[in-house]
Amino acid sequence: MNAIISYAHIKHNQVSVNGEVVFRSDSALSLPEFLSDAYKTLGLSYPKFHKMDAQCKLGFLCAEFALKGTEFLTKVDLSRTAIVLSNAASSLETDRVHQHSIDDKSNYFPSPAVFVYTLPNITIGELAIKYKITGENAFFISEQLDAELLVNYTETLLQSGTEAAIVGWVEVDGTQWEAFIFLVQNTENINKNSIFKPLNQSTVITQYNQTIWTH
Amino acid sequence: MSQRVYITGLGMISAIGNNVPESFLSLSQSRTGIGKINHLTTRYKDEFLAGEIKLSNEALADLVKDSNPALNRNSYIAMLAAKEAVMNSGIDTNDGLRTGVISSTTVAGMSKTELYYKEMFVKDDHLNVLDTHDCGDSTERIADYLGNVDYVTTISTACSSAANAIMLGCRMIKHGQLDRVVVGGVDALSKFTFNGFNTLMILDREWCKPFDENRKGLNLGEGAAFVVIEGENALNLRKGKALAEVVGYANANDAYHQTASSPEGYGATLAIQQALAMSGLKPSQIDYINMHGTGTPNNDLSESMATKAVFGDQVPKFSSTKAFTGHTLAAAASIEAVISVLSLQNNMIFPNLNFTTPIAEMNLIPETKLVNTPLTTILSNSFGFGGNCSSLLFKKAS
Repeated sequence: MNAIISYAHIKHNQVSVNGEVVFRSDSALSLPEFLSDAYKTLGLSYPKFHKMDAQCKLGFLCAEFALKGTEFLTKVDLSRTAIVLSNAASSLETDRVHQHSIDDKSNYFPSPAVFVYTLPNITIGELAIKYKITGENAFFISEQLDAELLVNYTETLLQSGTEAAIVGWVEVDGTQWEAFIFLVQNTENINKNSIFKPLNQSTVITQYNQTIWTH
Repeated sequence: MSQRVYITGLGMISAIGNNVPESFLSLSQSRTGIGKINHLTTRYKDEFLAGEIKLSNEALADLVKDSNPALNRNSYIAMLAAKEAVMNSGIDTNDGLRTGVISSTTVAGMSKTELYYKEMFVKDDHLNVLDTHDCGDSTERIADYLGNVDYVTTISTACSSAANAIMLGCRMIKHGQLDRVVVGGVDALSKFTFNGFNTLMILDREWCKPFDENRKGLNLGEGAAFVVIEGENALNLRKGKALAEVVGYANANDAYHQTASSPEGYGATLAIQQALAMSGLKPSQIDYINMHGTGTPNNDLSESMATKAVFGDQVPKFSSTKAFTGHTLAAAASIEAVISVLSLQNNMIFPNLNFTTPIAEMNLIPETKLVNTPLTTILSNSFGFGGNCSSLLFKKAS
């Protein structure tokens, strides 16, 4: 059975894992401050994190929280693991920064370190680099989390050589930001666990709506 | 066993022509479309060359016959190329079969947004431009332009985007989700892109020289290309004609760096090997490779390494056609898919322009003149930032 073995959701300066809020920051913190807090709580030492733009940081942390405590990375063939992400705004947040840097002739300062992040699939690249995942990857643009698209596409991959996948939504657009990432694995290869839910549209929608955020 | 997928229509607009016949003429006459910048307003106008489409936005709007002021260059060229592909295939989107549109873009409506961006902070006159800014917008415009489309989605995976759109379309047909799909990509030139690539220092100030020892970087281009792909069932039903078959495709991640390929071309090797495995073809059965070949020191070396890793000493004839069109980013893979089908149809390998000296440690020599030779199978590579590597395999329609 192809199952969702773990999922993480980051929103409202809070992180939930498998439906339960596991980390909460001061709701007044800006996104960069929140991301820095969340990074610290994971106790990671990954210098590349600090070079990433907000969207990559958010996607990276969401993946880290989803992976934490699972054996996903050690149990799957990383060359047959896919990464499928999506959002609505593409790389708009960093596009604005780059645009701002070239807008004004008298204040012209485009930077390669910024331009690098003006593509949404760089988030996938950052995950691939961190986890040494070399399987298929795709980044879809849709108006909102499209569970049907993500599930259909992941199933298609799983029928054609892919054995596991990191799938979800990573969006940053001004103060509107959110990440939701789930891990898909064929449970025949791992110990059966009753909390694993079969991969289908209703599972994804249920898990996406499961967290009770505190305000 | 899932059904075969055929290419049945081609559409393309780029620096080398406003449609497929014009593009074929330029290719067969070894005439590049890269030159001085005429349409884009940029501080780099006299500093860099570019592969611009030779039409103004007004001329494009006339061709599209749409006076909607919110439309941008990206949508115009996407609509034109998609329409050409559909006309060329002869499909009728009103015949009751399921048609999809899967497009890809990286800059979307930026060419227009950037003109008004500063102004938007002080007044609201051009806010309507933002309605057409998103990556998904040009895809929706294509769907509306074609009419009666059942499925629309947009992919953005940098310079391999259109290859991934073609892959997704093939899969949806093979899995019975659609009967045929208009697949491809589009990117119009923008200041945004120029300034960005310039900061990465991978632009050549002269004509790009793919696979040359003295290559200095890429020339940016713009374009849109779409192909109609159809499942054999739908094709047989309407007694349509196949132009080529898509026999293999694969995507892998290089997992190395955000904007650089690994020195050994690991992701590229995986993509090529897996596309070959899917097709059941042996490396020795590939007649020609249309390389990604951007002309950057990094890409061409890495791609050469991957080519050697897969083909050993028996590297097929190859060329990069980027020196004709410039690097058209999200459109590159579909432009090169169209070029590959033209190669198959005409048994012609289009030359790798501007090449003189092979890369020392590789000694791989591309075809530098037009070659007339029987072609049955073509491999086409496209690699993007974010480590996204895709290979497509086309076969002459039997």
